[in-house]
Amino acid sequence: MSETPAVVSGSQGNDLGGTTKKSSNTVNRPGAPVGGSARSIRSKSRPADRIFYGFSTGAAVSIMVILAGVALFLIVRAAPAIAANWATDPSLSTGATAGHHTFWGYVAPLIWGTIFVSAIALVIGGPVAIGIALFISHYAPRRLAGALGYLVDLLAAVPSVVFGLWGIFVIRPFLLPLTNWLNHHLGWIPFFSGTASATGSTELAGGIVLAVMILPIITSISREIFLQTPRLNEEAALAMGATKWEMIRLAVFPYARSGVVSATLLGLGRALGETMAFALIVSPSLIFSLKILTDGQNSQTVAANIATSFPEGNALQRQALIGTGLMLFVISIAVNLIARIIVTRTGPDAKTRKAKATIAQLPPSDPSSVLAVDDVLSGRHSSPEGTARA
Amino acid sequence: MKLKNVAAVGAIALVTAIALSSCSSTPATPTPTATKSSAPTVDLSTLSGTITAGGSSAQANAEAAWTAAFTSVATGVTINYDKSQGSGGGVTNWLAGSYDFAGTDSSLKPAQVTSAATTCGAGGGLDLPVYLSGVAIIFNLPGVTKLNLDSATIANIFNKKITTWDDPAIKATNPGVTLPSDPITPVVRSDGSGTTANFTTYLSQTQPTLWPYPVSTAWPVTGESAQQGGSGIVATVAAGKDTIGYADQSAVGKATQAAIQLGTSKTYVQYSAAGATKAFAAAATAAPVGTGDLSQSLDYTKITGAGAYPIPLLSYAVLCTTFKSPAQAKLTTAYLGFVDSANGQAVSAKNAGSAPLPTNILTEVAASLKLVK
Repeated sequence: MSETPAVVSGSQGNDLGGTTKKSSNTVNRPGAPVGGSARSIRSKSRPADRIFYGFSTGAAVSIMVILAGVALFLIVRAAPAIAANWATDPSLSTGATAGHHTFWGYVAPLIWGTIFVSAIALVIGGPVAIGIALFISHYAPRRLAGALGYLVDLLAAVPSVVFGLWGIFVIRPFLLPLTNWLNHHLGWIPFFSGTASATGSTELAGGIVLAVMILPIITSISREIFLQTPRLNEEAALAMGATKWEMIRLAVFPYARSGVVSATLLGLGRALGETMAFALIVSPSLIFSLKILTDGQNSQTVAANIATSFPEGNALQRQALIGTGLMLFVISIAVNLIARIIVTRTGPDAKTRKAKATIAQLPPSDPSSVLAVDDVLSGRHSSPEGTARA
Repeated sequence: MKLKNVAAVGAIALVTAIALSSCSSTPATPTPTATKSSAPTVDLSTLSGTITAGGSSAQANAEAAWTAAFTSVATGVTINYDKSQGSGGGVTNWLAGSYDFAGTDSSLKPAQVTSAATTCGAGGGLDLPVYLSGVAIIFNLPGVTKLNLDSATIANIFNKKITTWDDPAIKATNPGVTLPSDPITPVVRSDGSGTTANFTTYLSQTQPTLWPYPVSTAWPVTGESAQQGGSGIVATVAAGKDTIGYADQSAVGKATQAAIQLGTSKTYVQYSAAGATKAFAAAATAAPVGTGDLSQSLDYTKITGAGAYPIPLLSYAVLCTTFKSPAQAKLTTAYLGFVDSANGQAVSAKNAGSAPLPTNILTEVAASLKLVK
């Protein structure tokens, strides 16, 4: 842990190389002394320091232990149901698991439903969340921005069962006309096909409420990262004649990129695991369905299925449900890993390439422009490390 | 030392009981009918402790009413009934030893009877009927307030064979009612439920050919609007148009209920508490799995008497014949004794809309409770 700052500053130095010495100094200056002083304090090893070191190490270790414990619990509890013979076992041929001949046949539609509805939520909620964050950080008057940020954070405090009830009594009837319109006019698109719902209990309603639920997470984190964009970069972009939108596109987005991806991932995590709201709003079926406007062909999610089937389940069925929970756990880890790989693969390299392209477009002879580009560049390079730590 | 402590605790309990009872006697008690004469054997006010129970959500409103009435007399007793478990969850937790009794809409299955012997010792568990109600068929058709449905039509509607409201089968039983040509939206449970088990039992017994599905706590037909909880069905039926659903009477509220065909006759019956009691008396035959067990098997085809409601719903309390602690046994039997008294049944009828159990069942329950140690 104590080595991290050194590594970070080292990599910054390497990345920046010889291209932008001036700005690299300014960027490094606040970081370097902190790393140095931390090391010197540790070498003295005062009791308070040791206690705090022990505490923070313990906290870090406990996360690993808890995660391992959860994984172990899921595996141990799920094993009998995964190993059971679903075709012949009498306790699996009744109730919620009736008609499923293997564990994988039972869990596959649930996994599909989970990913599908999370995707709906992200497609609807993601752009709106980033839009809100951008408005708060760059467009809104300061007083309004504060109030708006506070409101968005408040949204995160609303319990999901309240969202569920809101979905039942407000969103469902509200969406009915839209449901009918989409079904009638755009029914040839697979998503909007089928018999339009008469109750509003659709995958679309669930997806929209989920989108609202993931808004605060994505917005709060994105806003913080947008606000951290170096002023110098923004002013440089504006000074070069960029409009506000171009400034955001050239200076803010590249800087905030990996942070926004992380924020979206956290939102996705919430959507993947959301239970109560979905269970209350959507009329589920255990099927692979793309339809989002029907009553009877909405794909069920893993979490909501556990909530609805667990109480009446017998011992083996409960183990089967824990098995589906294990699969959700695996998916969540996989989604996180994939997204991290995407971020690292496309992150720094892609940015450098883009940055070079940007430089090529600028008039190279003008000294002030070159300086501005330096600043933009340095900001971009230091950003991923900074946000990763934050 | 130990004795001294016990004496001290006893004295405190006595003083508290006196203080509380003198308190509660002055203001108007919330359920005056329940307070008197409900304790023939045990003086309830001397009891103290906590009863932990849970299970059937159909029973939940009644349990709340019983708890309020019981604890207004037995002031030292706390009763926690967890309805979030559902019938199956209640029995599972009870088998795991964490409940004093479980509320369940179906009596113990053979496998559960076996594991009950492990949990409770040789005597096993007892199924005691505590709650009688009915499954309501509720609908929302603008302009239609009365609807007669025969059992074949109900089966066909919920099996998606009848899909529009102006179907000849519905028209035939509702002369003079203007029915729209709109499609029917059946609303069912998405979660496992004892109400579903009762309703599907009714359908498979009265219409075995039209309803070929096995009895299950999970709704067997796919592709319908499935909602979580009885309240979810009621809310969805109320908010939608051309909807029809089923729910326990305690969850129905102000929703419009259909009148249901009595047996194979041309008579259609609206729910009434007396009707459910009559139906239970006609349909139930004892199916004990052990000494003192009062499991009932309901034959819905036998419900033919005038005024009887065709879909009664019976819910049980399941408890051990031998408790680990005698004090806990005394406490639990006192409570269930109150529940299955004329007063207790009146309390749930008034507050949860349930139907009183017939007196012969109440007598049998009292006898069975004497076996509990």
